Amino acid sequence: MPLGFLLLVVVGPVLRLAVEAWSGFNAAAAAAMLVDGYLRWRLAWTVLQAVATCLLALLVGLPVAWVLARREFAGRGLVLRLLMLPFVVPTLVAALGVLAVLGPRGLAGSCWGLQWQDTPWLLLYGNLFFNLCLVVRATVEALERVSAARVAAARTLGATAWRAFWRVEWPAILPWLASALCLVFLYAFSGFGLALVLGGQRYATIEVEIYTLVAHELRLAPAGVLALAMLTLTGLVALLYAWVERRLGTPARADRIGRTRPRGLGQWTAVLLAVLVLLLLCAAPILAIIAQVLVAGSPAWAVLGEPETLQALWNTLRFTVAALVLATLLGVAHALVARQSTWLRAAAFLPFVVSPVTVAFGLLLLYPAWSASLPLLVAAYALMAYPFVANSLGAALDSLPPALHQVARTLGASPVRVFWRVTLPLVRPALRRGTAFAAATALGEFAVTLFLSRPEWATLTTLIYERLGRPGAANRDQALVLAALLMLLALLAFLLIDGAGRRAVGPVRARPVAGLRDA
Amino acid sequence: MQRRIFSFLAATLLGTGLAAASLNASAQELRVLVHGSFSLPKPLLAKFETDTGVKLSVIKGGDAGEMLNKLILTRAQPIADVVFGIDNALVVKAQAAEVLDAYSGPAAQRASVVPLATGVVPVDYGFVTLNYDRAWFAKSGLALPRSLEDLTQPAYRNLLAVQNPATSSPGHAFLLSTIAGLGEQAAFDWWARMRANGVKVTKGWSEAYYTEFTRNGGTRPMVVSYASSPAAEVFYSKEKITEPPTGSLSLKGGVFRQVEGVALVRGGQQRDAANRFIEFMRSAPVQEALQTSMWMYAAEPRTARHEVMRHAVEPASYDNPTTDQIAARGADWVNRWTGVVLK
Repeated sequence: MPLGFLLLVVVGPVLRLAVEAWSGFNAAAAAAMLVDGYLRWRLAWTVLQAVATCLLALLVGLPVAWVLARREFAGRGLVLRLLMLPFVVPTLVAALGVLAVLGPRGLAGSCWGLQWQDTPWLLLYGNLFFNLCLVVRATVEALERVSAARVAAARTLGATAWRAFWRVEWPAILPWLASALCLVFLYAFSGFGLALVLGGQRYATIEVEIYTLVAHELRLAPAGVLALAMLTLTGLVALLYAWVERRLGTPARADRIGRTRPRGLGQWTAVLLAVLVLLLLCAAPILAIIAQVLVAGSPAWAVLGEPETLQALWNTLRFTVAALVLATLLGVAHALVARQSTWLRAAAFLPFVVSPVTVAFGLLLLYPAWSASLPLLVAAYALMAYPFVANSLGAALDSLPPALHQVARTLGASPVRVFWRVTLPLVRPALRRGTAFAAATALGEFAVTLFLSRPEWATLTTLIYERLGRPGAANRDQALVLAALLMLLALLAFLLIDGAGRRAVGPVRARPVAGLRDA
Repeated sequence: MQRRIFSFLAATLLGTGLAAASLNASAQELRVLVHGSFSLPKPLLAKFETDTGVKLSVIKGGDAGEMLNKLILTRAQPIADVVFGIDNALVVKAQAAEVLDAYSGPAAQRASVVPLATGVVPVDYGFVTLNYDRAWFAKSGLALPRSLEDLTQPAYRNLLAVQNPATSSPGHAFLLSTIAGLGEQAAFDWWARMRANGVKVTKGWSEAYYTEFTRNGGTRPMVVSYASSPAAEVFYSKEKITEPPTGSLSLKGGVFRQVEGVALVRGGQQRDAANRFIEFMRSAPVQEALQTSMWMYAAEPRTARHEVMRHAVEPASYDNPTTDQIAARGADWVNRWTGVVLK
């Protein structure tokens, strides 16, 4: 039964894409497009910026993670917890934050005359804001699982610290790192919100191109071809990710390398540098928004009272709640069913593979034919959000010792009772974490609403985007105020659902945290 | 946990219930789809509402091209009853997509200063042309360009900002006029040389005018804008000035006449109110008011021209491709432009 339900929702987007491909596909036109220099350049840039983000995240993230994993200092726990923050921030808010720091009227511009508009660095910075934390968290978790005995053995045999790292730790953390980098590539490659706002005319990605083709030029056939090309590429990377994930099934080792307090100037400098880097890359955009919002005049704050804003706020809240309920149900059902089948497990990655723009585009084509359109919108939201629940729950279910389940069954409990009384309480923290991410995704959902944007369904994100498109400092400040409101909502949702308990109960499988979708 | 589930379910039911309720538009509401530059004085709109007894719901659809695309994409369940902002570059596409219903009331029968198309009632017209910053040119001592060709000279390097024709209606208009004025091949050669000479491309008019124009703190003393923008500068300036700080340049191949109209949306409701809205748009109060709220010239003959519009001199000539040419080749031209300028 849950299987049938799942098939309907999972096959749904695939069907939509098939419809759009069939309606737009024309072999000659497709071939002509692939040869077109402009599109090849756009595709090349899309791949390049994704690869550059991966490399930068690795180069910057690895040392920072090493410092966090191996050194004990005051505030370390706080830093680790705050690293979750960029996941919660919606993409549009992050884009505004980056503009608030390095845009034409950003903080860096007014203090040091530094502004990066129309350069590729703006987009890369935005990508790093999200993805650095992903890489750092994954690497910290991986480093904590390196066996102390092996490193000690290597040192006793005469290896220097660097050699010990290179030959023992690095191979051990490589699978986690590879998995996290695959995810980073997927997000940077198929991200829409950041590319739309930060890419400018020259450095936008293919996703923005698809949007322009549909919304501004109404050339659906080329858009369909591009969407298919993106789908193929992301599909390949997602397969790679799933394959690497499967190899991470080893249970956590007991002998971790203990953390030491930094000794000497060199080690303290390393710690300070790491914190500084994190501040610059991950905290600066958020702080910049808050700073600019606080100094904005009252006309900017007045936007909170406008009927347009209140309507958008209401829309955001009701879509999110509806989507969240649907996503939770779907996620739980999917996780339960996917325990047996690896195919279904891979199917959970489908929404990662299918970018929001492609889903929205497919919806748009089916849109006139479906009269009950609001449920469709909510279903699209839920589709984007439920993989977080499914994956989080799946990981937790995997790490449950089967003995508990068996004991309960021997004592006479029915499967439903076992689930309700034994499994669910144990996986509750993972479920909470998954729903927290799902809520944050739904709150920040941008691409789907932008495509479908029936005027009566405007949400906070489309309102922000609209304000951003208008000239003048007043509009920009209003956009910032709205962005701050959205960020607050996301934070609230996260705290409400995740609560105070962030420590997982029971053995938790070592798996990198899936970050927020670049919607 | 259970309580949380129940409260979530309750919230969903409430949400969907309210959603369903709000889906039905209120009975006496006229939905007007407009582009982002639409603006009329609120008292005028309020008077329309009291005269007709319907509530006006003005829906901003973005740029004119975007707005038309939205109409086309949602034609099975239209998002509006009447649309304002279909211009001569878009009207053939709109009619081909069959999203409009012909209007044949009094406003359509009356003569208009400018023609549009059957069934679409012209409301206003304007000229997309180049604007320049007088102060900058006076200070630099550079002579004003006398032709498009001059703009490709090294002396004028990095001095022009244009908008992307794919995303901006004035940008699109400017591209069309270069093609009509210079001939297609020569026009694209010109664009290639302009790209080499540092032309700046922005997404929309607002970015070009309010961010890139030297008048507003940017680096480009020439932008693609409207012939009426100098008049707007005088009207909105904080101190009283008698001469506009900017001027408009009428170069061969650099002026496009844009005619905007209002039309009924096929499948829309509130037909009576929509008809009255069309008449309202051609009524004298609106035709006078739109000069200083939308900065266009009135289409209704014998409309009193506002005093400030003397700073908005109508260009003597303009270069428009025919509406059929635009419909047939428009997309190809934009495509080619993207390849020549943006790649």
